[in-house]
Amino acid sequence: MIEVNNLHKSFIDKKDKKNTVKALDGLSFTARDGEITGILGPNGAGKTTCLRTLYGLLSADEGFATIDGISVTEDPLGARSKLGIFPDKFGLYERLTAYEQIDYFASLHGMTGKSKKEAIEQVIQDLELGDLAHRKTVGFSQGQRMKVTLAQSLVHQPQNFVLDEPTRGLDVMSTRILRNHLAKFKAKGHCILFSSHVMQEVAALCDRVIIVANGKLAAQGTPQELCDLAGETHLEEAFVKLIGSDEGVAA
Amino acid sequence: MNQLKALVLKEYREAFRDKRALMVALMMAFMAPIMIMVMSKIMIEKLVDEPPIYIKFTGAEYAPKLILHLAEKNLLNFVDVPEGDRVAWEQRNITVKIPEDYATNMAQGKSIKLHLQADFTDKAVKPPIRRINSAVREFSLSIGYKRLLLRGVDIRLLNPVKLVEQDTAKPDATFMLISMMLGIYLMLAAFMSGLSVAIDSSAGERERNVLEMLLCQPVSTLKIVLAKLIGASTIAFIGVVLVLVLTSLSVGFVDLTKIGATFSLDMSTAIFLMLLLLPICFLASACQLFVAFQTKSFKEAQSTVGMLIGIPAFIPFVVSMMDDRPEWLDWLPISGQSMIIESVFKGVEVNWLAVGATSTVTIVLTVALVLGLAKKLKSEKVVMALS
Repeated sequence: MIEVNNLHKSFIDKKDKKNTVKALDGLSFTARDGEITGILGPNGAGKTTCLRTLYGLLSADEGFATIDGISVTEDPLGARSKLGIFPDKFGLYERLTAYEQIDYFASLHGMTGKSKKEAIEQVIQDLELGDLAHRKTVGFSQGQRMKVTLAQSLVHQPQNFVLDEPTRGLDVMSTRILRNHLAKFKAKGHCILFSSHVMQEVAALCDRVIIVANGKLAAQGTPQELCDLAGETHLEEAFVKLIGSDEGVAA
Repeated sequence: MNQLKALVLKEYREAFRDKRALMVALMMAFMAPIMIMVMSKIMIEKLVDEPPIYIKFTGAEYAPKLILHLAEKNLLNFVDVPEGDRVAWEQRNITVKIPEDYATNMAQGKSIKLHLQADFTDKAVKPPIRRINSAVREFSLSIGYKRLLLRGVDIRLLNPVKLVEQDTAKPDATFMLISMMLGIYLMLAAFMSGLSVAIDSSAGERERNVLEMLLCQPVSTLKIVLAKLIGASTIAFIGVVLVLVLTSLSVGFVDLTKIGATFSLDMSTAIFLMLLLLPICFLASACQLFVAFQTKSFKEAQSTVGMLIGIPAFIPFVVSMMDDRPEWLDWLPISGQSMIIESVFKGVEVNWLAVGATSTVTIVLTVALVLGLAKKLKSEKVVMALS
């Protein structure tokens, strides 16, 4: 379970105090186990800042974030060990093979020996990476890179899984593999937090949707509830309406 | 421990698979023995033979005996210069003027003035001038002695005091320059070889967006820094070992006995030097990582860290030039080691206290840099620089 409570974060420009950016302004939400929670928000709404705070890379000015009850500021390593991360910007170690790369992240999560080997084989099979596993990642296509990154963040079977726009650049087949995979994780009772700009995907996949605007929670609920709230039939229309009128409908 | 093992394994894999960067990194090590060989060959040539010197004579026809005497000493007329050397000797432009009245003055026993003209500040001109000088003096003295002998004077009267020179310099001392160069080379190899790996694993990884992912993992920044340090300093150490091995091999091809010098890098000396330079390898990589992580881009890291290399080349030079060395130089990293290397090559007893002190200071400094960097990697500033 991922819980974010009243997060505040400002980026202060030391030279020009007026240039201060308020990225998070009291954001709170909860992503429950056994559910896929989607985060929606326009560019610059504070999604990435929120997720970085969750990873323990940034420390909030106010408020706290916990992962399975572990505070990310007090025990960042403990919190991170419960987390699988698919970051906003990712790169691969281009001189390693896909297998070595996944192995590396599995080892970082403390896996060893036979159980590690089995976990790697499993994730490679699940994501249909078999043909690529022993090639160096240097010439991989965008989709192939995505898959390797997914594999490395899933290999340790994290209880909580955070994905920052995981489907950008994926072809239809790969997107379906990913969706099936996430659904499987959900069925096993994992907590999945998922940010995306593709409304159909969010509508199809997410149990609950959180809409973030200006560093605040603008609205939350099931996709249907959000549509009802905005009085629209499509999530996209509802989203535009909800972020546009943040005083009106904000929770 | 498993985490650290995985981190180090990954650093090694990346470092050793980047063949081109690795070649460039170890270039230094391959260049050193070649440079030292060429240098010693040149030195031997200079010290052993008296190469021909070509002088522009004016009035050579007035003093055939003098010209003959000079020719015996390999001081030849510019007219006979081989085509290949013409430009060089044209530039040096050494002229000797023999006056018209040479023969008459000689016959009358009057003093004769020869004029030697050259740019005396030119380094290449100095040895020829010295040789011309002594040849002319010898010629002049031999005539003077003959004159006195003819008059029945014992020529020993001319030399009431005679200075006998005894050279106590060890044969090795003539080879000092080359061993000093090797010392500087070793220091440079420690700093240069790990350079590209250090930059690639810090600023390079940040630019390739893999650092953020790594920082999100449940692994302490200290372990990350340690793994990168081990990766880079291993390459640096390989550079040092290569310089030592290749030099000891290549020096065998140069016949140093010609100049009465011996230079041997025996096993125990080589191992001592490796152990002495091991902390330097760590310090060098720690400095490079520390600087590279602070920079904003890969390019900036390359140029800033490149400047760091000046230090190890500069310090041993300055230290070797100094006449009065303050004691604290013994204790500092780099200067301490370079003085110890110097005494190893000189064959002087090694000051073990200084070895211990400088190694300790080097290690302490490295540890401080590593801890500082581990702390810095936790700060928001580094994270903000990611995007």
